[in-house]
Amino acid sequence: MRSSILLFCKRHHLLDISAYLVLMVGGILLLLKGAEDQGYYWQWFRIPKFLYHFEDGRFIAGPILEGLKITLNITWISLILTYIIGLVTALMRLSNSLLARGVARTYLEITRNTPLLVQIFFMYFVIAPILDIDRFTAGVLALSLFEGSYASEIYRAGIVAVNKGQWEASYTLGLGTYQNYRYIILPQAIRRILPPLTSQAISLIKDSSLVSVIAIYEMTMNANEIASETFLVFEIFFTIAAIYLALAITLSQVVAYFEKRYRVVS
Amino acid sequence: MSAKQFGDYIIRVDSIGKTFDNGVVALKNFSTNIRRSEVVVLIGPSGSGKSTFLRCLNGLEEIDTGSIIVDGILLDDNKKNRLEIRKEVGMVFQHFNLFPHLSVLKNITLAQMLVRKKSKGEAEDEAMQLLQKVNIAEKANVFPSQLSGGQQQRVAIARALAMKPKVMMFDEATSALDPEMIGEVLEVMKNLANEGMTMVVVTHEMGFAKEVSDWVIFMEDGMKVEEGTADHFFSDPKMDRTKLFLSQIL
Repeated sequence: MRSSILLFCKRHHLLDISAYLVLMVGGILLLLKGAEDQGYYWQWFRIPKFLYHFEDGRFIAGPILEGLKITLNITWISLILTYIIGLVTALMRLSNSLLARGVARTYLEITRNTPLLVQIFFMYFVIAPILDIDRFTAGVLALSLFEGSYASEIYRAGIVAVNKGQWEASYTLGLGTYQNYRYIILPQAIRRILPPLTSQAISLIKDSSLVSVIAIYEMTMNANEIASETFLVFEIFFTIAAIYLALAITLSQVVAYFEKRYRVVS
Repeated sequence: MSAKQFGDYIIRVDSIGKTFDNGVVALKNFSTNIRRSEVVVLIGPSGSGKSTFLRCLNGLEEIDTGSIIVDGILLDDNKKNRLEIRKEVGMVFQHFNLFPHLSVLKNITLAQMLVRKKSKGEAEDEAMQLLQKVNIAEKANVFPSQLSGGQQQRVAIARALAMKPKVMMFDEATSALDPEMIGEVLEVMKNLANEGMTMVVVTHEMGFAKEVSDWVIFMEDGMKVEEGTADHFFSDPKMDRTKLFLSQIL
C-alpha cells in the first residue's frame, strides 16, 4: 500500500499533486468566504428531512429522493431511446436512399439547432394533444429526440472511422449490408465511441432537469420548490448537485470498466 | 509449361470500361476470358487498372460499360446475382483486412455460418482443416493483431477458402509483407494453383508469375498491352512497352 502511494507520487510529480490540493482547498475556502460575506447562515441540519425520514421505523423518501426516482425513470427510458434513435438516424444518413438521408438530415438540423427548452414546450403543447400522450411521455420523447440527434453524429463518426477494407472483406465473403453492420462494423465502431456516448448519457442526466418546465416533479423541480419555501438555496442546490455528480461518476465508472474489458487489440 | 487440363470459361469479361468519379479512367474496353483451373497473372505499372479489374470482377467496383459473367451469372445491378457471385469468388487483399475484433477461428467461421448456413461445429472443423493447410493451426484462438503480416495473410487466405469459392483473386497479396514473409504466402498460393484452383493474381512477384501462371496479362492505362503464356511472355515479349517494363523490374 505504502509503496504504491509512493509510486503514484513519483509518477505524478509531487509538485503537481500539491498544486492540485492547494487549488481545491483554495476553491472551497473562497466559496465559504463568499457565503460568509453575504451573511449566509448555513443550515445543513435542516436538509436530511428533505431527503428522507423515518416514520414508525419505516423509511419514507423525502421530496428530493422522490424527485430522484422520477429523474432516474426519465433518464433510463430516454437513454435507451436516445441510443436507438441515434443509431437509426446514423444508419439512415449513411444509407443509399435519398429519402432516408433527407429525413435524417432534416430531423438532425432541427433538433440540434433549436433550444431543448423550446422543443420540450413544443412537444408538450403541440404534439402531445395530437398524439394524446401524458406529460411524462412528452418530456421523455423531447429529451430522447434532442439527445438522439447528438448520439447519431457520434455513431456516424464511429462507423465512418472503421477501415474501408473491413466493408470490402465482408462484402467479398458474401455478407449482406445488415450482417455486415451487425457482425463487423458496429462491434468495432461501438468500442471506439463508448467514451463520447457516455458523455452523451451524462448530458442526458443533467438535461433531464429541464423537463421540470412542463411540471414534471423530478429532482430539480422539487429542489426548486423547497428552496423557494425555505430559503435554503445553497444547501438544497449543493445537495442535488452532489447527487447528479454521484450519478454521472457512477455511470462513467461502469462504462470505463466495460471499455477496458472489451478493448479491441489493434 | 505443364500438361494442365483446363475446363470451360468460368469468367467472361467483355469490353468493360470504368471511370472513377474523379474522372480517372481505370479500365478501357478490357476483355478477357478465364478458364477453370487457369492461373492468370496481371502485371503492369501502378495505376494501370489491375486492381480495379479484380475489384470489378466481384462487384466491389461497378463497371460503366461492357459485361462480366462469372460461372454463368451475369454481374449486374441485381443484388441477388452480386451476392451469388461474391460467394463463388474469394478475394485476398494487400492489407489482409482480417476482422480485428474476432479471433482467427471466428474470422474463418463467421461467413460460413452466416452465408453458407453451416452449424458452428461444421464451420469450426472446416476452419481448423484450412488453418492446418496454411500451416497456422496453433494460432486459431489468438487475435489478428498478435500475428505477423505473413501469418495474417495466410489466415486471410484460409478465410476466403472457407467459402469454397470457385475462383480466388489475389490483390497484391504479398506487397505489404516483410521480405522474409513473402515466401510463406507464395508457397500457399502455389499449392492452391497446383490443386487446380482458378486464380486471378495481381502481383509484382515475377518469380511467381513465371513459375505458376498459365497466362500473363500486361496492362497499362486500363488497357491490355500484351498477353501470353508465361514462357512466351517473359522470354519473347513483342511490344516495346512490355520489354521496357520487364527490363526495369527483372
